Amino acid sequence: MRPLPQEDFAPAPRPASAGLNILVVGVGGQGVLMISKALALMAQRRGFAVKQSEVHGMAKRGGIVFSHVRFAEQVWSPTIARGEADMLIALEWAEALRWLDHLRPGRGVFIADTRKIVPPFACRSRKLGAPSAYARETPADVVGRHADGCALDATGIATALGDSRAANTVLLGRLSAWLDYPVAEWHEVIAAIVPKGTREINRAAFDAGRAWTPPAPDEAPAASAAAAVAPGPDLRIGVSIDAAWCKGCGICVKLCPERCLAMDGPKAIVRTPAACTGCRVCEWLCPDFAVTVRNEGVPA
Amino acid sequence: MLDATPKTTCDQKAPFDPREWLRLAAMPHFMCPGCGHGIALRALLAAVHDCGIAKDDLAVVCGIGCSGRVGGYIDANTMHTTHGRPLAFATGLKLARPDLTVVVVTGDGDCLAIGGNHLIHAARRNLDITCLMLNNEVYGMTGGQASPTTAATRVTSTTQSGAIEPTFDACALAAAAGAGFVGREVTRQAPALKTLIARALRHKGFAFVEVMSDCTEIYGRKNDLGEAPEMILSQKADMRPEQHRDAPDQPFRPNALPTGVFVERDLPEYGERLRAHAAAIRGEITP
Ligand SMILES: Cc1ncc(C[n+]2csc(CCOP(=O)(O)OP(=O)(O)O)c2C)c(N)n1
Ligand code: SF4
Ligand code: SF4
Ligand code: SF4
Ligand SMILES: [Mg+2]
Repeated sequence: MRPLPQEDFAPAPRPASAGLNILVVGVGGQGVLMISKALALMAQRRGFAVKQSEVHGMAKRGGIVFSHVRFAEQVWSPTIARGEADMLIALEWAEALRWLDHLRPGRGVFIADTRKIVPPFACRSRKLGAPSAYARETPADVVGRHADGCALDATGIATALGDSRAANTVLLGRLSAWLDYPVAEWHEVIAAIVPKGTREINRAAFDAGRAWTPPAPDEAPAASAAAAVAPGPDLRIGVSIDAAWCKGCGICVKLCPERCLAMDGPKAIVRTPAACTGCRVCEWLCPDFAVTVRNEGVPA
Repeated sequence: MLDATPKTTCDQKAPFDPREWLRLAAMPHFMCPGCGHGIALRALLAAVHDCGIAKDDLAVVCGIGCSGRVGGYIDANTMHTTHGRPLAFATGLKLARPDLTVVVVTGDGDCLAIGGNHLIHAARRNLDITCLMLNNEVYGMTGGQASPTTAATRVTSTTQSGAIEPTFDACALAAAAGAGFVGREVTRQAPALKTLIARALRHKGFAFVEVMSDCTEIYGRKNDLGEAPEMILSQKADMRPEQHRDAPDQPFRPNALPTGVFVERDLPEYGERLRAHAAAIRGEITP
């Protein structure tokens, strides 16, 4: 990640009187709705009219989840139109990118977890180490250029505190730095909506997010961004069948997802070794220990 | 006093090579093409390897049946005992040599029919033994008689017009009898099976693992269940990730049993209790 300019991270608190459009996005299981609930509750306590609408149909399958939170003196539409979000809070990096066009051009605030959850359909090739079609943009490409805001390893922060699931609260803490509502009131709202046993960790996560400062340029994590773009190593997989032990049951032939193996009379043989991904299904399921899958490493 | 400290419990990082664990002179093994017991054997060896148990510190005790023949291919301390009694032999062995990791491999007939009493009492005592029951719903070795797990309507040589008896849920039985660890997995999920067995091996106390295995040659043929690939494919829809989740998985096949870890609890271990008791008595009578 390229070092981010320090000035971008001194949030100017918004007056409590102003209404806001806040878009919270992520994938199933991350806690998008918890953030939007906290925001809605906070706005309600301040006497705003609040509208919140959400889509979480595919949530259980790791599909997208998004929630529009709008509060002001009076709110009519429950959804935020493109280009009208004051803030975009993203719990997953690709989701952050996908929703960028909803931010107000030039002045929307962008807060994202740099965590990547690569969906199965981004895996174009099942070969071990093959590059995925996951978004190539790095936080450095986005944060400085498009909007006021920050990209932080919220999941890492929450994990260090003891539970990666509190990453959403870390982001909520970060978001709170842009709003001039008292910290004590945020703590109350969070305690009211999280399960009892998780109040401590959520409070700690909120405080950590609120206190977060961008890393100094030399300690910025370059590796994670680089890993996203660099294609995986070209691994050489070797699958072999020992004819002396094979009893020709056909399990490996029928269960290989890439159809690499075939029956040759009473024994199984390797027909298309190049298609092998090294998944080891054949090796695990051969009742006769006849299949060996070797990872022969990266060619020189 | 006997030394009960297991000698090797480090986590193994070297890649697993089953040939290091097999008695190569005895291979290929005697089992029929596609028999699920071979897959279970591999998962057991991989789990033992993962737990970093050395060959000399492993003892595998088997009963009689195709499942009972599994131990003979393992290059470690192995015992082939009498029908239904591997748990009794293993109990004696573990009490005499508490430093050994003792694994019992048994079948549904061996463990639940003739050996049913040994199972419930081994579970009740909670001696530190891992018991792997390979359930193929039939007496495979003797030509396909019905066992206590033969599902309703299945044809065997003793149920020519379809089985009518209710079956045992072996996991529920072991749990009710007091086992500290109880889990079930299908051979189709071999990596998850390996993880489950490794968890059972690390558990201190009686650990019962039921492996849903396929008898391809006899049960499969008699019941038109297809060839080996069809039988194993019908166990579960897909390979799952290696790790077990906390909640048991619902079965794919209708009327099949759920899989996963059902019981994991710390209970007083019998060997420790017995040794402490014996020491206390000795302390009382010898000044
Ligand atoms: C005392 C005694 N009774 C009966 C037998 C015959 N016998 C051998 S194996 C077996 C059943 C094995 O069934 P199971 O335990 O399910 O093992 P599988 O072969 O199915 O793996 C029986 C009844 C015996 N060997 N000894
Ligand atoms: S490892 Fe085996 S099952 Fe997997 S792709 Fe290669 S040959 Fe097929
Ligand atoms: S699974 Fe093993 S025994 Fe069966 S056909 Fe394949 S190599 Fe042969
Ligand atoms: S008879 Fe059945 S259980 Fe025994 S080796 Fe053959 S397939 Fe396996
Ligand atoms: Mg059997």
